[in-house]
Amino acid sequence: MSDKPLPRVNAINRPFWEGCNRDELVLQQCGAEDCCRHIYYPRVCCPYCQGGDLSWKKVSGRGQIITYTIIHRPQHPSFFPEAPYYVIAVELEEGPLMYSRLTNKPDASENLTGRKVKVVFDNHAPTQKLPFFELA
Amino acid sequence: MTTGSYEGVYIVGCGQTAYEKKTQKTSPRLIWEATDLALKSAGLAWKEVDGLSVTCFTLAPESVTTIAEHFRLECRFLVAGMYGGASGISAMLQGGRAIQNGDADVVVVVAADAFDVSSHMSMSRNPGQHDYMGPWGYGAANGIFAMHTRLYMETFGVKREDFGRLAIAQRRNASLNPNALLKEPLSMEQYLNARVIADPLHLYDCVLPCCGADAVVLTSEKTASRLKVPKVRLLGGGEVHNYPANEIYALSAGWETFRDRMYAQAGYGPRDMDFVQLYDDYPVMEFIQLEGMGFAERGKAAQLVRNNDCTVRGNLPINTGGGQLSAGQAGASGGMIGVYEAVLQLRGEAGARQVKCERGVVSGYGAVSYGRGPSASACVLARV
Repeated sequence: MSDKPLPRVNAINRPFWEGCNRDELVLQQCGAEDCCRHIYYPRVCCPYCQGGDLSWKKVSGRGQIITYTIIHRPQHPSFFPEAPYYVIAVELEEGPLMYSRLTNKPDASENLTGRKVKVVFDNHAPTQKLPFFELA
Repeated sequence: MTTGSYEGVYIVGCGQTAYEKKTQKTSPRLIWEATDLALKSAGLAWKEVDGLSVTCFTLAPESVTTIAEHFRLECRFLVAGMYGGASGISAMLQGGRAIQNGDADVVVVVAADAFDVSSHMSMSRNPGQHDYMGPWGYGAANGIFAMHTRLYMETFGVKREDFGRLAIAQRRNASLNPNALLKEPLSMEQYLNARVIADPLHLYDCVLPCCGADAVVLTSEKTASRLKVPKVRLLGGGEVHNYPANEIYALSAGWETFRDRMYAQAGYGPRDMDFVQLYDDYPVMEFIQLEGMGFAERGKAAQLVRNNDCTVRGNLPINTGGGQLSAGQAGASGGMIGVYEAVLQLRGEAGARQVKCERGVVSGYGAVSYGRGPSASACVLARV
């Protein structure tokens, strides 16, 4: 089995990926007083007010499923043994949208839209954990 | 002159290579072939080209600049198509402005790729897809658009059969296109029961990645007037990027933001169009384009497709050559297959699939990154 695809860790996103390895979901937050919004994915400026004062904050790890798909044909051979699996678009309690995976394998006929989820950390690769979600 | 009119801009040639599942040809060779065919159909010589736009995912380490050097073209106008399937039309609009202003006279707009299923699945290097979707096994574009499709279905009460009707109509159009890769009839039963790729998307909701290229040639009224070939006018157009800025799931990419201006430039509205060439990476995006460009109200494209015949024999021909779903998606050329098809139809050269037509609309969409494609474009074309 080929190796899992890994993110490119860089100066912009390093705190996020290091947080995952500590089982912590850490997002950027805008420091502008009239904005204060949480940001994902990691950026060089706030995508809401374009301000540049960003800091890293631990967030709740709670959210709800906006939409999802059940992947039968993964984009990379390393995922073939896991298919089919759920890829989900999660709106985090703090606002941002995060793409992730569901640890559960519910029946395909069950509608998961709007379901609450909670973050768990998955040993994606020897060097990198990833935030997954389980049904709350 | 209407605000933003493209008066004086003519499309005088179009070319398409063979669409093939596999090829030994490189992308630059495909670019040359489509350009050569387009110039021949225009009656123009290579040495007359002074503007070039190239869109090609597999072009590196070549670029539009090195392609111009490779072909030994002296260019006053070069555009590197960076918006995926929205690039072709975007480059036509920019090329049209260059021609109007006298910055260039003969502009070739070409897209090409030598693609297969693995390149389709592995190509995206942008941070949104590569770093924030890829590690989770998101299923590439299929996974991204499966999520849009599910949300669209749940929001507007649409069934898979509704998307199937359009896929089946396009397959019937493809059966009349000798260059389409999928020509055999597609039944609703086959559509519904095809294998699941990324639920709710099944096999026939997904394009067939392939190898090929499409090109058109734009020129000024002065040059067009000496050419003894069928001519097409660029009547209007528009583009928008990253709309709406902070909403991935608006079920829109913004065609509604420029459609009124585009139709005002053209002097015609959606009801005056004799065909529609949509960017059909997935049927849900065709529905969203039909709504964005004013053919159906928001959420009502399913009714439009149900109540009209979308084949070349029908009253609302859509993707008259079969589109990317049935002719094939030659990578970035997916953004030009509709343009090529529209120009061919308006020249009256579409053979068995010819639609009786005076004008039509073409749309583009692409540059898929974090959860969606940020770029949308469209133009109205008419025969002279």
